[in-house]
Amino acid sequence: MYSAHFHLLLNHWPIIGTFVGLCLFVVSLIANQDDLKQTSLAVFSFLSLLSIPAYMSGNAAQQVIKDFPGVSAEMIQSHQGAALLSLIIMEITGGFALIGLWQFSRVDKGGGKPILPGWNVFAVLILAVATMACMAITGNTGGEIRHPEVVSGTSSALGALGGKILPSIQYVVVDYSMWVWPILEDLHFIGLILIIGAIGVVNLRVMGFLKQLPVAPLHRFIPWGIAGFVINIVSGVLFFIGMPDFYTNNIDFQIKMLAMVLAGSNLLFFHCTSYFRVCARLGPGDEAPALAKFVAASSIFLWIALIVLGRYMPFFEVAN
Amino acid sequence: MLKAVEESGFSVWIRDSPSPFAFWFIISVHAVGMGLLVGASLVIDLRLLGVAAALPLAPLKSLYRIMWVAFWMQVVSGVLLLIAYPIKALTNPDFYLKLALIGIAFTLMLRIRNRVFGDATLSESVMMQKGRALAVWTLILWAGAVTAGRMLAYTYSRINYSG
Repeated sequence: MYSAHFHLLLNHWPIIGTFVGLCLFVVSLIANQDDLKQTSLAVFSFLSLLSIPAYMSGNAAQQVIKDFPGVSAEMIQSHQGAALLSLIIMEITGGFALIGLWQFSRVDKGGGKPILPGWNVFAVLILAVATMACMAITGNTGGEIRHPEVVSGTSSALGALGGKILPSIQYVVVDYSMWVWPILEDLHFIGLILIIGAIGVVNLRVMGFLKQLPVAPLHRFIPWGIAGFVINIVSGVLFFIGMPDFYTNNIDFQIKMLAMVLAGSNLLFFHCTSYFRVCARLGPGDEAPALAKFVAASSIFLWIALIVLGRYMPFFEVAN
Repeated sequence: MLKAVEESGFSVWIRDSPSPFAFWFIISVHAVGMGLLVGASLVIDLRLLGVAAALPLAPLKSLYRIMWVAFWMQVVSGVLLLIAYPIKALTNPDFYLKLALIGIAFTLMLRIRNRVFGDATLSESVMMQKGRALAVWTLILWAGAVTAGRMLAYTYSRINYSG
């Protein structure tokens, strides 16, 4: 199996998913259905996780097909540029969706319904439309690389713009100064500490340690963990853009990206949706449901695994 | 002396063994221990600074147990890494800076334990008042210690005895 298979496996999800998520969101707003709103916001946030390996696996696909007859380097470059811009706007959309989703995980003191702020609805709508447009262009430029029967002959402005931005990011990360990389690594470590501290303490309580603590106020630490995750996604994507060949075919890296999607989904679906209210009701001494304990334990396992997989990466380096 | 350490079979094994359970395992333990030690400190410091203000402060004292376990993980894995590359670390001023920052940060965390968590009769507002400055300083020092540690890979002048 080639690493390139991952690209074919992953790359359709962000395109179709954004469309489905957007339709769902519009319906949920018209019908004023909170569960449906929550579902569509979760779809956007989940897609922003999935888009990271979808983007990165593109490099593996490129390595496999770049020397095939009829495959144009220009088309690949255009596709990559469009993909980069799509990824950036997808991540921003996912971030705003997560802020909206946060409202649903909080226990309202008055027992009222969670209120999704108007500015958040507006931002997610606009960004999701923009993401869908970018993803459509990316899918189109990608399809043209291997499917000459559908080549439209039109060049993509998005691809051209992204194709210019990509080398400048690469330059800043790798060549501008020898200190950019170490500083990004340092930020990656600080992000790791925020995640382990903030998300770890909530999970430990849910698992049954630190039982004197009530869960609802403890949940206030979660945004600090999310901040750490955001720092690490940004710095991690910059590492990849800087030295794609180091990561693309590294099995350790591929497993790490799988673990990242799982750990991120755990954070998203457990700590940031209305499911968490099961835990948030727990006062001092109360026991969480068995399922919640299992999810909390798997979260700790996955985040620790991410650290270990990160440290082992040079051990699994493959010669290019 | 350092030459002898560096040439010892144990040092060579950590450094050059193709086993995934030598150098890479130790450095992974060191990273996980860092996350636990600084992560647990971070939770206490943030609470002292007013994050999650509705959370009772006193039970957070239990986090010191995690910090002690993590602290000893760091001492053991750190010493093993030092045995692997004694010259690389000891000829780098950044290494002494890192140790000093860790030493001060950990001492301040213990001071928080004594002053803030040591007296059960204190009210929460008094605890926070006593802990505020210490919390700010430990956060700054931990950030410095992590940075100094990360920079060890980029600031060394010698890697081993011969060069």
